[in-house]
Amino acid sequence: MITAHGLTKRYGPRTVVDDVSFTLEPGTVTGFLGPNGAGKSTTLRMLTGLVPVSAGSALVDGRPYAGLPNPGAVVGTLLDASAVHPGRTGRAHLRLLADAVGVARPRVEEVLALVGLADAGGRRIGGYSLGMRQRLGIAGALLADPPVLVFDEPANGLDPEGIRWLRDLLRGHAARGGTVLLSSHLLGEVEHTVDRLLVIGQGRMVADGSVATLLGAEGAVVRAADPARLAAALEAAGLPVRHGDDGALVVPGADPAAVGAVAAAGGHALVDLRPVSRHLEDLFFSLTA
Amino acid sequence: MTTTHSPQTGAIPTRPAVRAGAAAPATLVALEVRKSLSTRSGKALAVVSVLLAPVAGVLASAASEESLGSVTGPIGAMGMLTALILLSLGVLSTAGEWTHRTVQTTFLLTPRRGRVLAAKATAVALLGGAFAAVSAGLTAGVLATMEEGVSWSGVGGALVAVVASGAAFAVIGAGVGAALTNTPAALTGLYLVILGALPVARTFAPEVGARLDPAEAVLALAQGNAVASSVAVLATWTVLALTAGAVVTSRRAVA
Repeated sequence: MITAHGLTKRYGPRTVVDDVSFTLEPGTVTGFLGPNGAGKSTTLRMLTGLVPVSAGSALVDGRPYAGLPNPGAVVGTLLDASAVHPGRTGRAHLRLLADAVGVARPRVEEVLALVGLADAGGRRIGGYSLGMRQRLGIAGALLADPPVLVFDEPANGLDPEGIRWLRDLLRGHAARGGTVLLSSHLLGEVEHTVDRLLVIGQGRMVADGSVATLLGAEGAVVRAADPARLAAALEAAGLPVRHGDDGALVVPGADPAAVGAVAAAGGHALVDLRPVSRHLEDLFFSLTA
Repeated sequence: MTTTHSPQTGAIPTRPAVRAGAAAPATLVALEVRKSLSTRSGKALAVVSVLLAPVAGVLASAASEESLGSVTGPIGAMGMLTALILLSLGVLSTAGEWTHRTVQTTFLLTPRRGRVLAAKATAVALLGGAFAAVSAGLTAGVLATMEEGVSWSGVGGALVAVVASGAAFAVIGAGVGAALTNTPAALTGLYLVILGALPVARTFAPEVGARLDPAEAVLALAQGNAVASSVAVLATWTVLALTAGAVVTSRRAVA
């Protein structure tokens, strides 16, 4: 479990992360969203001890990151895929990491195969594409198969197949009881991968909740064979109606079940009835604007 | 060009066996040795530091018709050359990590930064000493082959001085590299001071060399002159560089 409490980072008079708190539970994938410069990367670096905190604390399994006996065995981290020496081969890079973490050499070959770099492991990293460097970074994070994964923009440079593979990997990790913190600007990708969202804007946490809660229903959309009659019936039942596109009726704040009940009582034939859901993009811009 | 194969899907293999605690100091030192020698620049520096002095010895012996008198002077001069190369080895081991941002991974896996710097200093000291020893041995071989009638008195002390100086210069480079966290700045600054500022200062105030110049200290040590003050000069450079490196390493954020 990861707990951040009141994390704050100041550079002189400028506060880049302000009183950020959250708790990450095992078995979940948490998306960490925010516009560029919102403080996502600084928060992740404070979490992992790379950037000293100005105030607050971050604990992994009840200890500061630097207090973990073997951090690489507990937290697999990918913060910057380009933070590798271009003159080393991918295999040499992973072997150095494996020795630092304390896993056997054969594991290097396993993770190279896992991320699809088995044949490229002997090439210098300087010749890798961004997507290959991302895969190499993910391979390094998975060496010890740690219970916690912290990834910053891991989908950058990945092709659609790679993005789907990454989604399955993260969901599978959470399904095995792991904890995943995923920072990304690819909102569609996050929406399909995470259980929970943390949204940060201008250094402050502006939303923290499950995807269902944050993107949940805000009303109902209904289409009927006779929209005018149904609209009148809904208004009579105390449900205000807006006329949407293509003859649809939007009933703000209404449960679809209530709309369906009115329609059934009046014998109205329905073509479509569903909740109105916000898209992550709408939520993101409304919270971080 | 992306030449990846499809990643594996399905179940991830059983969790691998992982060391429970922190890496032992010897493990960290071995890692740093491998890091230094796993890049083309590191390998090139190793080769140059070993071969430059004996090659220079061959050329000097071939070009000169004067008798050397004692081998301690040439061994000291060639040892100084080797030590100057080993400065770069030290700089690359620390500043190189910041330049390539690999310091991020290093500190993520070993967050106690003092342990990392200690391992790097030990690793480059071992490498510096080893390369200086091989280089000095080859240089002595060149002198034995190409020079006749020279005195070999004091050669043991000269070789010890060269090996110790090689280790010290590598550690000085590591300390300055850690303090400046920038490879070009550390290399330029060190060579400007040692090969530019100090010689210029020495022309105006000769005592400056005896008190400050680490290169002159190597020459003096190899010839058995001013041993205490030469050791003090090298020790002061080493301690100051490592202290500055430790302060910056412990405080600097990895952005």
